[in-house]
Formats: sequence, structure tokens, C-alpha cells
Amino acid sequence: MTRKEYLMRQKEEKGRKLFGIFPAYYPKEILWAMNVLPVEVWDPPLEVNHANAHLQSYICSVVKLGLELILQGKCKDIDGFLFPHTCDSIQNLASIVSDYLNLDTPCYFFYHPKAPYSAASRRYYLEELKGLVLRLETQLGALDFSTLKQQVKKGHRVAALLKELYRLRACDELTASNTDFYQIIRRGEYLHPDDFLPLLEEFLSISRGHGRKGPSVILSGIVPNPPEILKILDEMGVKVADDDLLNCGRRLLSPESRNEDPFEAMAENYFGMPPCTTKNSSLKARADHLFKKIERSKAKGVIFYMVKFCETELFDVPHLVEELKKRGLATLLIDCEVNQGLSGQLETRVEAFVEMIS
Amino acid sequence: MSLLKNVRYHFMKDLGAPALMRFSRLKKKKRPTSPNPNFGPALKSTNRLKEIMARHYFLSRYTEGAKPVAWVTSGAPVELLRVFDFYTFYPENHGALCGAKKMGPELCAIAEEHGYHQDLCSYARIDLGHYFSGITPVGKLPKPDLLFASNNICQTVVYWYKALAHYWKVPLVLFDTPYNFSTITEHDISYMVRQFEEMIPLLEQVSGQRFNYKKFQGIISIAKEGSLTWGEVLATMKTQPAPMTIFDAFGHLAPIVSLRGLPVALDYYRILLRELKERIERGVGAIPHERKRLMWDNIPIWYKVRDLSDIFAAQGMNFVTATYTNAWAETIYDLDVNRPFESMAKAYSLVILNKNLTNRLELMERLIKEYRVDGLVIHSARSCKPYSVGQYDLGRILMDRLTVPSVVIEADITDSRVYFEEQTRTRIEAFFEAMES
Ligand code: SF4
Ligand code: SF4
Repeated sequence: MTRKEYLMRQKEEKGRKLFGIFPAYYPKEILWAMNVLPVEVWDPPLEVNHANAHLQSYICSVVKLGLELILQGKCKDIDGFLFPHTCDSIQNLASIVSDYLNLDTPCYFFYHPKAPYSAASRRYYLEELKGLVLRLETQLGALDFSTLKQQVKKGHRVAALLKELYRLRACDELTASNTDFYQIIRRGEYLHPDDFLPLLEEFLSISRGHGRKGPSVILSGIVPNPPEILKILDEMGVKVADDDLLNCGRRLLSPESRNEDPFEAMAENYFGMPPCTTKNSSLKARADHLFKKIERSKAKGVIFYMVKFCETELFDVPHLVEELKKRGLATLLIDCEVNQGLSGQLETRVEAFVEMIS
Repeated sequence: MSLLKNVRYHFMKDLGAPALMRFSRLKKKKRPTSPNPNFGPALKSTNRLKEIMARHYFLSRYTEGAKPVAWVTSGAPVELLRVFDFYTFYPENHGALCGAKKMGPELCAIAEEHGYHQDLCSYARIDLGHYFSGITPVGKLPKPDLLFASNNICQTVVYWYKALAHYWKVPLVLFDTPYNFSTITEHDISYMVRQFEEMIPLLEQVSGQRFNYKKFQGIISIAKEGSLTWGEVLATMKTQPAPMTIFDAFGHLAPIVSLRGLPVALDYYRILLRELKERIERGVGAIPHERKRLMWDNIPIWYKVRDLSDIFAAQGMNFVTATYTNAWAETIYDLDVNRPFESMAKAYSLVILNKNLTNRLELMERLIKEYRVDGLVIHSARSCKPYSVGQYDLGRILMDRLTVPSVVIEADITDSRVYFEEQTRTRIEAFFEAMES
């Protein structure tokens, strides 16, 4: 079934509303509990055309593609948009969509406090969660507290399975190729947890086993796109043993909370997530996090797979590279537009990097 | 802090620096410059401005051991730091100065050699370039004891100050201001007030001084007055002909940014206001034959301010308002001595770059009407995404609603390597034609 068919069936058969969600952190459990299917918009496979009339050439392709999707009329079946406060570009994109495009689709916003976290941040986050619920209720009807509790538990199950997959991969106990791994976990960007959970379980059971021989690397950045990188690494026998990608490892592996209050549990999840540029984590926290991953997976280097013009990520790179080099680890920085493939020149750089760590 | 160094600092502030400034003024008088026929007489207050800013930078050499030093973002609520007697330094202001002195490419390139990508904000690259090289047009910058950032202008400052905190090995205090996607709520305000409460112990620790509520109220009152007076200064440009240009205002902005909350800034704006009012009474315009009135959107192109002002003035076109200069007159005047924390939270989270684009559009519409603007020049600044994303739509909508033609100049605030002379000239010429049709 295609993604489009799946989404239409969710709407028609399950009566679910579809929400277009822009990157990156958002309380998905609240949406599930309100019978909304979040459909994340990271890198729709489109050619940017109309968005150039609204956005300058120096704006990242994630933002451009998101806007393009709307401008090409591909969001007609979407019942709402949610814009988390991720970076300056998403922030202004939210305003363009909600203030200038004259859409009928409701737009929601979600502000998450920035680190370093204090008691004030925690309280604010809780209030933000509840505030979002109140706003959504005007469109979707009342939220049922016990349903939310169940969905929070479901969210934990998804995170637990993903964590297990990540652990197995890092310990060389997963047979899946880089390409397959990311294809599967990225399906969580639009599948309902009721469908995503069995998919993950199945993938886990068929992929257990000794990983392939060859050097390992960590992938850091926003999104594993252009996907060619995964293919090249697969072909060269290099395993992505772990990642520090915003749309994967940084937000999917939330810690489990035992708190019975679903809002408190969601807050614990959020504040327990790995360090991230979009949350203003310190350079030290980010470097320590990378080192932990490297230690666990015995990776020989880190590929910083940057989206062109992404200030959010690019600022931290010099320090991280310096720290990695101090420890004798290889680094490679690539910045390119998503969906535009890897140029021959970039492919050569990847190959040279692989030779270095082999 | 050492007593001796403190005495030395105050000696330099009250006697040494003024004497030196007088001396350099005398020296400068010997070199007369020929008047530019495109402009009216120069503002006399500019000399005073130069003195104040030169003294401010000069004094930074005597801060070590005398005063705690904080590096601050332009939109941060500096009033709180003033209670603890911090010497405040503004990297963005320094970046603008480097840009105006055409040092942007050199300093940016140094940061780039250290891995900072050319796509990053050039204020940040200049600042990091200075960190790695020590190069600055002001001799020497004071080493920070504390970094104070607010993301009410952009998230970029947060990434940038994180790097500074790492290099300078000093604490970073972030004042996190929830973005106004729609409106500011009570829980946004309480979050910000709680942050102030939480940061006070660290400020006490770094400065060695206790928080003093009365002193805080006094500072709030001066900041408010300063902002109101700055607002009055800008409002003089509603007069036709306007007594100054927005390009002048870009320069006169420095005290309200860097010395906000200090009497020297307030005193300066009173002097400037007096001069502008006198000009209005005498009918003196900043340009001799003001035919058209323009609005500037975004941060200036610092290395081109003079050239651009000349090009437009030669056509009898004067810039009379800008969203940028207006930012310091927009909300700070709302500070309330009786509710200093709440009002500060509100004032600082409601600044132009922390509000949605509908607000920006309304503000621009209001300015266009109040200042009787005929055309709009939009600087699409590569460095500044929060200011630039949405500008294409703003230009279009303003044309539709108010029939105000606009031109977009694709450039950067300080990095002249991305300024394209030919392209800009062609666009400006097309704009001139549209303005005359
Ligand atoms: S790629 Fe970077 S700049 Fe673009 S939306 Fe994501 S975080 Fe923002
Ligand atoms: S120029 Fe823009 S991005 Fe750079 S510091 Fe200023 S507000 Fe932030």
C-alpha cells in the first residue's frame, strides 16, 4: 500500500484526522489520543518550484520542501498543521503558512523551552502541553485522560523497540543494511503506532543476527537524506552503527517514564531525550553524547551529514570535529540539499573517508 | 574585584577618557571634509555620539579586575545586569562596526578557517574571527566574565553564545522568550519572570554584588525614558523634510543598544532630540530636496551605508523610517517600575523578531502611513533568517494593500563577499523607475 493510500484509509476507515507536522519535537501521544494521525513533513520527494517565490535561496531545503508540499496542493486532505519551534526558519515558515497563505487548515504551534533546563522550564513545558490540548480541543473535541495514558504507554513501547534496534545495531547484532534500517524506522513518520509497532517487532525478529563485517561510523545531522549516503556505505561494507540525527536517534529514543500522570510522563520523556542543537544543549553535552555512542559501537568516525544552510547544526560542528580529532577519530562534513542526490565529488569524498577508516 | 583597579577605571571614565577624547577631537578638526551636495548640514550631535561610543570601547581596557564584564545580545534585558554593575559589551554592535569599517570579510574568513561555515550569521563569524585572531578595530575587547543571551531576536545567538561559552570558559545565561506565534500568554510571562528569579543568584555570584530592588527600579526608569526619547528622535522624521535620514539613525542607535539603562544614553538622546527639533523649526532637511520618502526593512548593509545613502539622496529620496531602528522604541518604553520583572518579560518578548509576520505587517503598515512612505527597500540579509524569511511576501502584500513599490536587495549585513554591485544597481534603477511612474 502506498503512503497516500495508507493515509486515506486512516481517514476513511478509522475516522482519523491527518495533521501535517513540521520538524522536530512534538507530543505525538496527545495527537494519537485525539484520534489524529501525525504525518511528519521532513523531506517530501518534490522539486522546489513555487516555494522560491516565498523563500530566499539561502533557506534550507527542509523548509523549502515543506512549503512546496503545501503550495503544490498536496495537503488538501490535511486537517491541521503543527509547527514546533525548532529553528528560526521553521518559526518564520510557520508564520508564512498561517499568516500569508490564506489556508483554511488550522495551524498550531508548540514552543519547547530551551536548555539549560531549570525548574521554570519544566513547569513551562507542562503548561505548554496542556495549552496545546486546549487549543486542539476546539477543533477535535475533548481529550480523554485515560486514552492519553494508554497512548503514552504506547509511545513507550515504540521507543523501547527502537532502542532495542539501536542497541542491537551498535553491538553488531543486527543484520539489516543501513538502507533498510532507516527505511523501516522512518516509516514511523506517518504510521499509526498500532501499525508501526508490529512492523518494528517483525523487523526486529527477522534482523537479529551477526552484523556484517566492516568498519562502523556514526551519522550526525538532521535527516538521512540524500539516502545515497546509506547506499554508498552499504556498498562499501561500512555500517552506520548509531546516529545522532535529529529526525532519528535524537528524538525517537525517549526514556521510559513510570510517572502515572501522562503529562508528567511526557515532560520526563522530553527532558530525558538526547542532547540536541534545537534544544540548545551545550557543546559538552553533545560531545559527551557522541563519545558514548562511539564507545558503545566502536565506530571509527563520524559523518556530519548537514542540510545546506542549517545554522542550527553547523554551529556545533567545529567543536565536535575538534574533539573527535583529539581522540583520533575520523570526521567527514558533507552539506547538501535533501532530495538532490550526492554529486560525484561528494561520493568521492565519502569513498576517501571510508578508505581512511578501513 | 580590586579596589585599585576600580579607582583606575573610574578615573579613566571621569577624567582620562574625556581628556583623550577632547584631544582626538582637536586633532580631527584640522582635517576639514568637503560637504556632500546630496545632503544637508551634518548633525552636530554626531561628534558627541562618537565621543560616547569611543569612550565606551576605550574604557573596556580598564575593566579587568575593576568591573565584571558581560557580553550581551542586542535584545537581552540588560537592565538586570546593570543592577550588578556589569560593564556590557555587545558583540553585534562590534560586528556592525567591523562591517562599517569593511573588516567583515577578513574576520569572517578567520572563523571559516576554524570550521565555521560561510552560511552562518556574519556577526557570529566576525566575533569568532576576533576570538581566534584578536583582530578588532577598537584595539582590544574586554574578556567576558559572563555571557547573557536572549533568543528574542533569533536562535542563532543561542548557538553562537554556546560556542563563546565554550571558548571563553565562562557561564552563559540564556533568557528564553517563547515566540509569539499568536499572542503572549500569562504562562509565557510567568515562565520568563521565573527565569529572572533563577538567574539572579548566578549574577550575584559572578559580580560579587547583591541584587538591589530599588536600584533595579531606577535603572528600569532610565531605560524606559531612554527608549521613549529614542522613539521621539525617530518620530522627528515624520516631518517633511525629515531632519535626519535613517542612515544617520543607524549610527545614532548605538547608545540605545549598548548603553541602555545608563544616564549617558538618555542624556545623549535628549541632546540629539533638541538638535532635531531645532532643525524642524528652521525647516532644515537631511537632504536638500526631499521628493520621496522611503522605508528600510532589516539590518543595514553596514559596508554600504554611505554608498547607498548617496545613491538614494541623489534622487531626492530619503529614508525616514526602518523596522530595525524602531525595534528599540517599540516595546521597552512599556517598562513599568512598579512591575519591573513582568513588564521586562513582556517588553522583551514582544520585540519585532519575536512576533509573527502578521504583527510585522501591521507594524510596517502603520509606519508607512505615519511616516508617509512612498517606497520600501527590503534588505534580504543572508545572515539573518528570522528577519529575512517572509520578506518577499511582506513586499508583495504591502504593494497590494498600500500600493507601495518595493525593491529587494540580496546582500549581507557585514560580509561584502555576497554583495553584488551590478545586480543591486540594476534593481535599484528599476525601483527608481517604479517610484516615478
Ligand atoms: S534543516 Fe536546520 S534550518 Fe532547516 S528546518 Fe531543520 S533545523 Fe531548521
Ligand atoms: S543578524 Fe540576525 S541571525 Fe545574526 S545575530 Fe542578529 S538577529 Fe541573529
